[in-house]
Amino acid sequence: SVTEIRAGFRAIKANIQSRDPVRSLSILSHPQSLHKVKSSDRCCITHQLFTFYVDKVFKHCRTEDSFVNRKISSIANSFLSARRRLGQCHEQNNCPCGEESTEKFKQILANYEGLNVTSAAMKSLGELDILLDWMEKSR
Amino acid sequence: SGELYCSLPNPRNVHFESVNMKNVLHWSAPEGTGDGVLYKVKYAVYGVGKWIRKPECRNINRTWCDLSSETSDYEEQYYASVKAFLNGTCSDWMETTRFNPLTDTKIDPPVVSVSSTDRSISIILTAPEKWKRSPEEESISLLQVYPGLQYNVSVLNKKTKKRWFFSISNNTLVVPWLEPSTAYCVSAQIHVTTPFLDSGFSKELCITTLKDK
Repeated sequence: SVTEIRAGFRAIKANIQSRDPVRSLSILSHPQSLHKVKSSDRCCITHQLFTFYVDKVFKHCRTEDSFVNRKISSIANSFLSARRRLGQCHEQNNCPCGEESTEKFKQILANYEGLNVTSAAMKSLGELDILLDWMEKSR
Repeated sequence: SGELYCSLPNPRNVHFESVNMKNVLHWSAPEGTGDGVLYKVKYAVYGVGKWIRKPECRNINRTWCDLSSETSDYEEQYYASVKAFLNGTCSDWMETTRFNPLTDTKIDPPVVSVSSTDRSISIILTAPEKWKRSPEEESISLLQVYPGLQYNVSVLNKKTKKRWFFSISNNTLVVPWLEPSTAYCVSAQIHVTTPFLDSGFSKELCITTLKDK
């Protein structure tokens, strides 16, 4: 659940964010904020972002700290089960992907591919609260 | 002061202290420096490259700087940084960790008001407001900022010392089936489930139920 993901992230937030020295780039929030996404596109963007984190982020976020690694894998498991539930919505077509969300997700991938894989993955992980804040605000 | 060579020790423990999104940067003076140290402050929005100077906190000798106005958009995250100067030399810029106003603020307890009949007490709770630039600015309740905001309410029978706890989402609570002419003390706390935020409990407010009709 989101609460579990929050708790897990809060425990490692300072550690993960300190590994991201690039202040001037964001994967999720710039140049265009997630908060500008239309409500009709939210389900699709959420599904795409969960897939993004599962496929592209968690696997590249190993650290030398076993506590941090355990927290990362428990967050990843929570994402996997959440994505499964979202996938069902997607299949039942309750999760339309409009032009805007497609465009927004392209931009997120471009931000991600603008950095080397490890830096991009660590930065994305450090921005989990941006995703969670947006999801909760738009509940 | 001309910056010659930055050999001054650095400001320490540079961090935000935030209550109801009044976001104030705090730090400690560099080790071993007495009076006379001056500071300047800059801040940046995470994801945007530019550092922005804070003119009101340039060449100050205090060790705090109110950045509430600059960090009022709680959909953004921020960094801030401090540099020290003394006798023509300076320190490095010392930065905060990434500051998220939404999750890194503390929340004050709710305001509690109570009234009573002979057999019940009615409690009204008011969540604090988000910091605002001026009294004229529109007030935003933290209830609007945190949709999942709830109240935990404690009611104590002063005579029997029996205590009840209630967890409610709306801001009114009526506690029935009480004893007449008895003092009850009420205290309340704000609880936000996600992001996880709890206020302290409010100061106890006591009221006596009316005589039996």
